[in-house]
Amino acid sequence: MSKKKIISNEQRESVIVRTISRIMIPFIQLFGLYVIIHGETSPGGGFQGGVIMGTSIILLAIVFDLEEAERRISRKSLTALMSFGLLIYSGIGVLDMLSGGKYLEYTKLPLPLPAHEISTLSMLGVEIGIGITVMAVIILLFFYMVGDQNAT
Amino acid sequence: MIFELIKSVTFFELIALVLTVTAFICLYRVVFGPRVGNRIIAVNVIGTKTAVLLVLIGFIFDSLYFVDVALVYALFNFIMTIAVSKYIEMGRI
Repeated sequence: MSKKKIISNEQRESVIVRTISRIMIPFIQLFGLYVIIHGETSPGGGFQGGVIMGTSIILLAIVFDLEEAERRISRKSLTALMSFGLLIYSGIGVLDMLSGGKYLEYTKLPLPLPAHEISTLSMLGVEIGIGITVMAVIILLFFYMVGDQNAT
Repeated sequence: MIFELIKSVTFFELIALVLTVTAFICLYRVVFGPRVGNRIIAVNVIGTKTAVLLVLIGFIFDSLYFVDVALVYALFNFIMTIAVSKYIEMGRI
């Protein structure tokens, strides 16, 4: 039903832009994941990867409709994701404090692994938390700005 | 000495230099463009030139990381062009 509404929308983008965007959006998300996961060894990291992931949804909202983007990922779930990413970040920090170290001192975690592997895994977790938070905040900012602009 | 300097420039450095100079020619069209379409396309061309320039810089400095930066730059250039075009066409995003 929602698909029919999009096709009958008279103010839609041209077929070239829609097709290219539909092809590109999965690759943008894949590239964002790559930037997040290779954050320690290459330029980029959680913040940059989160911005790239958020850009894919922003492209969806620009080329299709704002309602289409909000049907894929609603404002409620974006708020939940925002808090969830922060929870991952601070949860790893608090776990380090509970296991006897300082805040975000990774090597004190009681895992049966060498110290540098624990450090790398915790850093990956922190990067993923930052990435989720930044993605949700960027998309939510765009939704609120464009939604207010279209309402007036 | 100047002759030695010119002779030491490799092919890819020359291409990077030419791309930089032509990007400034496009900047003229951005500033003095008669219509808004000229400006948008000129900015788009400058962005594409910059992406190629980043890959060339990565080749010259022998570093693969510049390819990532060039990919992100091309991607944001594409999205920026679509957003600005839609805003000018419809008055909203």
